[in-house]
Amino acid sequence: MADHGADEPSSRTGSPDGKSQVSEDRWLLHQRLAIRELIDTEASYVHMLQLCASDIRSRLHQLSQGDLDVLFSNTDDIIKVNSRLLQDLQETDSREEEQVQLIGNLFLEFQEELERVYKVYCANYDKALLLVESYRREPELQQEIRGIIEAVVPQAGPSGLSFLLVIPLQRITKYSLLLQKILENTLPDASAYPVLQRATSALQDVNININEYKRRKELASKYNKVEQLTLRERLARINAHTLSKKTTRLSQLLKQEAGLVPRTEDKEFDDLEERFHWVSLCVTELKNNVATYLDNLEAFLRFRPQEYDLDIPEGPAGQYRSLARDLQLRAFPEFKQRLEGLVWRPLCSLAKALDGPQNLIKKRLDKLLDFERLEEKLLEAGSVTSEEEEARHTYQALNSLLVAELPQFNKLVGQWLGQILCTFVALQRDLAKQVLQRAENSLAQLPHHQLSEPAFRKLVEDVLGQTSHQLCSFQENFEKVLPPLAIQPLLPGAERQVQALLSRYGPGKLYQVTGNTSGPRTLDLTLPRGQIVALLQNKDTKGNSSRWLVDTGGQRGYVPAGKLELYHVIPSEEKLREQAQPHEDFRHLTPEPTLAPIPSVPTRTQVVAAYPFVARSSHEVSLQAGQPVTVLEAQDKEGNPEWSLVEADGQQGYVPSSFLAGALSPAPWGWNLPS
Amino acid sequence: MSWIPFKIGQPKKQIVPKTVERDFEREYGKLQQLEEQTRRLQKDMKKSADADLAMSKSAVKVSLDLLSNPLCEQDQDFLNMVTALDTAMKRMDAFNQEKVNQIQKTVIEPLKKFGSVFPSLNMAVKRREQALQDYRRLQAKVEKYEEKEKTAPVLAKLHQAREELRPVREDFEAKNKQLLDEMPRFYNSRLDYFQPSFESLIRAQVVYYSEMHKIFGDLSQQLDQPGHSDEQRERENEAKLSELRALSIVADD
Repeated sequence: MADHGADEPSSRTGSPDGKSQVSEDRWLLHQRLAIRELIDTEASYVHMLQLCASDIRSRLHQLSQGDLDVLFSNTDDIIKVNSRLLQDLQETDSREEEQVQLIGNLFLEFQEELERVYKVYCANYDKALLLVESYRREPELQQEIRGIIEAVVPQAGPSGLSFLLVIPLQRITKYSLLLQKILENTLPDASAYPVLQRATSALQDVNININEYKRRKELASKYNKVEQLTLRERLARINAHTLSKKTTRLSQLLKQEAGLVPRTEDKEFDDLEERFHWVSLCVTELKNNVATYLDNLEAFLRFRPQEYDLDIPEGPAGQYRSLARDLQLRAFPEFKQRLEGLVWRPLCSLAKALDGPQNLIKKRLDKLLDFERLEEKLLEAGSVTSEEEEARHTYQALNSLLVAELPQFNKLVGQWLGQILCTFVALQRDLAKQVLQRAENSLAQLPHHQLSEPAFRKLVEDVLGQTSHQLCSFQENFEKVLPPLAIQPLLPGAERQVQALLSRYGPGKLYQVTGNTSGPRTLDLTLPRGQIVALLQNKDTKGNSSRWLVDTGGQRGYVPAGKLELYHVIPSEEKLREQAQPHEDFRHLTPEPTLAPIPSVPTRTQVVAAYPFVARSSHEVSLQAGQPVTVLEAQDKEGNPEWSLVEADGQQGYVPSSFLAGALSPAPWGWNLPS
Repeated sequence: MSWIPFKIGQPKKQIVPKTVERDFEREYGKLQQLEEQTRRLQKDMKKSADADLAMSKSAVKVSLDLLSNPLCEQDQDFLNMVTALDTAMKRMDAFNQEKVNQIQKTVIEPLKKFGSVFPSLNMAVKRREQALQDYRRLQAKVEKYEEKEKTAPVLAKLHQAREELRPVREDFEAKNKQLLDEMPRFYNSRLDYFQPSFESLIRAQVVYYSEMHKIFGDLSQQLDQPGHSDEQRERENEAKLSELRALSIVADD
């Protein structure tokens, strides 16, 4: 660099050579000084950072880990980057002639990294400051912190923490100034000049970008949260300003809808938004479906059929029981837990993350309407107020923020969704493996385990068919336990009724009432024990199968099914009798027994003769008091109940029914049967 | 049996020996319990099967909804993954239905059939009880006449009462014996009867879960999922979440 200066006169002073030489030397000196300053300050900066990060941080026990993270943010990353920078800068010292060039190149190299690391720190700085403020309000804590800092960094002075925390901010802005200083003391035609110039503007760009990043982050956090406002709070917020804002937006929208004003078509943004919308839909639906699945799983786990052991302790039943218990207590709950942790919870976090962009997109649309209106105004009026300028800028910032970050967002969400689905599949596979293992163990201990599945199924079908028959036979056996024999013969009227019912309905439909019935409802019949009825329907109109509709021959109504028993009609051993000859003596007292035209169906009963009786004709038999006789028919051939056909001592014949004990008392004299 | 309120007309002597009564009650009691258990087992099996089917259906819905998302049209990789998932879920649902059908046929139906015998049994026990009551009543009547002065009409009545008693006593004893024979047989029949059902249950699980293992195992490999541990998966989830949170548009909360 000094060589050039020797050949040409310095363009700055235009003075004669001797003087220019001196000036050059001065510039050189200043340049050297500036470079020295750069490197030395870098060294002390890095040293200070290290003090903060290690000594001070580790001594601040009173503060929580979370707090410390907020305060010091990514200081460690900064230290890494700047240590390397420092090292490289110090290396340039050995290369005097090219030093400026090297420094220029160095900064160009580090530009990206510096931006990346410092923007995070700067964006976080406000939060850190808030925290420091909060400490200041606690005098004790404040004292302690100051004590620690003073011990390590005495020059921090009373401001303590805030002094320390602002250092990186100051440094990043200082770079462009330091480089500027070197640049001023470099000749414009020096070979290093362009490089240095580029480096300087690069560092200025870094600062601009950091600011813009910070601004966007502030904008984003302003709008990306859904504010949980009460109605009252919402109402409180309405003032002239907000009202006018909203009405102008609405009118702008209407103008667009009406076609009066062109709508800004932003295809790029619209595509991004569409994709975002689909991705959100995916997440929401998946979350809901997984929730349903988990609910169903829970319901499934509530049933424990294996607890009903039917008193079958061993064998396949026991195997099944222990298998089912194992699955219910271990395999399935484990599956559920893994599902909740590795699928459900991530889905919830994912769903929540959708809120931010959602709100920003909405806000952007609002701001867009403002922007469009202001664009119009700009066209018409040529200028806008600073407030309006601010609004325009807000829209632009929001828009570029979304355009910059939505693609990344969509991509990340898509990737994560894919991961979650894969996990879902893997969990199912693991569950299947676990259950299968356990079930195969149980299977190995079953009697027919060597059979193939189709062969087994056939076997089971056959066996079930057989056992089904066996069950039927059990059922029949139980049903054969007969109802008690009727111990009293029927009234003749009842006998006739039975005959009528029999001929109308058939023998299978007759039932005997086993206990007196009566019921509250209008159609409930009041019947005595022993009555015979015919079954019409084995349920009532409401389908209640314990109330049966019956016909007594005279009336129809309902009786409880539990009081009805199948009536077994014993076939009579009726012997056709000859026509009886009427006996004159007794005619007006007791009509002669006459031969019945059709055989009736009485029950045989054992009775005892209560009084002696002398047979007067061949149709009658003699009785002795106390003699057991068998009643064959409780009426004569005409149906007259006053005579009974009995068998006594091997002889058959008629006797007065009233002479029999155990028989129903005959009708009073003179009673006539209805014809 | 012993709840009958004290009536005139109760016999003086114990007509049914206590041991017989005890035996009867024990056997019947066992059967009553078995009836209850059979009923409950049948109900729970059915409910469990229904819940199982519901679970399967909701799994199918997962892939169905994904398939109908417009992302499938745009993203070929996404479409492939979702299609494979959907195929797997549908196949699993079909196998599940088959499993439930098999259980219905070999477990629930037999349970129902077994349970249907109990009403007849209960009826038979009731009839025995009625016969016992009749027996008691007539026995008391006979005893009443036996204690009276032996006149001719009394003798006649006594004879008649004895004649009435005899068939009733025979009837009761026949019923009693029959039930005391049949009840234990029926109770023990459950062992052989249900064995195939439980075998079938276990086998149905094996069949279903082997399919499930195969289908999801294949799918897992196809989707290029390395065998991660749970901790690894959790870390991956955390990582993704922080990546998302690093974006300014995502609200940090």
